[in-house]
Amino acid sequence: MTIQLNIYRFNPENDSKPYMQHYEVAMSKKGMKLLDALNDIKWNLDGTLTFRRSCGEGVCGSDGMNINGVNGLACITPVEGLKQPIQLRPLPSMNVIRDLVVDTTHFFDQYRQIKPWLQAYTPTPEHERLQSPEERAELDGAYECIMCGCCTTSCPSWWWNGDRFMGPAVLLQADRWLKDSRDEAAGERLDQLEDAFKLYRCHQIMNCMEACPKELNPTKAINHIKRMLLNRQS
Amino acid sequence: MVKYTKDLGSAHSGLSDWYLQRVSAVILALLLPWVFVLLWTVALDSLSQQALFALLDSLAVRIAHTLLILALTIHAYIGLKVMIEDYVHRGIRVLLMGMVMVGMGLFAIWWLSLIWAWGG
Repeated sequence: MTIQLNIYRFNPENDSKPYMQHYEVAMSKKGMKLLDALNDIKWNLDGTLTFRRSCGEGVCGSDGMNINGVNGLACITPVEGLKQPIQLRPLPSMNVIRDLVVDTTHFFDQYRQIKPWLQAYTPTPEHERLQSPEERAELDGAYECIMCGCCTTSCPSWWWNGDRFMGPAVLLQADRWLKDSRDEAAGERLDQLEDAFKLYRCHQIMNCMEACPKELNPTKAINHIKRMLLNRQS
Repeated sequence: MVKYTKDLGSAHSGLSDWYLQRVSAVILALLLPWVFVLLWTVALDSLSQQALFALLDSLAVRIAHTLLILALTIHAYIGLKVMIEDYVHRGIRVLLMGMVMVGMGLFAIWWLSLIWAWGG
């Protein structure tokens, strides 16, 4: 059995316009993942095809791409069940560096803006800052995020206002630090997020939840931040 | 080299819009159906026009009517504002939002004057 793929190609050094290229590879094993097919093309058919991948098991978040119109990770998407020819495009609304590789500079810059690290002002305890199992459980549904960008690049609000709207991935991480029992900067974090564009551009259409390969729910996290802001005011 | 987007900080806005949008939605959900119920009963001749006018004249209905118009105006203004913020480019965004605000304000004032000047 063969797998048919149409893959977005663009090399800004040579191409004036992007185009779709057709490839066919063999279904080499049962349960074959999309990344296996891409590797097969890269290693055996066409070495110029460019994409990011590293761990190959849905942990590093490198191979986020648009698969038949839906964002996902190639390494954990089974080829079986995908309508053929499989249409592969780079993540939407990001600048293409080459083929399926996009420029994530702005995305990670927004991540940096929320200060995604533990901020504590009380004196450092002799050992570590402890957390009860219940407090740790609060982070479930947020810590699993691998920042692959599948959710953020599926969000129309980020497409239109991505220069200011933080996007679902970054807001999920913002909520992760707001929920962390060891973090002492919740006030400053909320101050930084209380903004019609940074936070309130989310209109809860839930594309983010649909796209998330780790089955997380950024919309829920965003609503939690909104509720925290409301509770602080009222 | 790492590029850094200039972060202008937070405008501390958005929460009140978000909150008012929800409060006004609840008021609209409670009061707006009554407008259609009243119009329908008049259309079916279950209620005469004179009786409708008398009803609108009572203090309780005037207060509810006022609340309805305020909620309607606020809800429509915030809804339009959100759409403008979503889709309109920054150059004309503020101008357009100001025009919508003035328009909705005039509409509310005109309608409220009708409610409170009625019959007197």
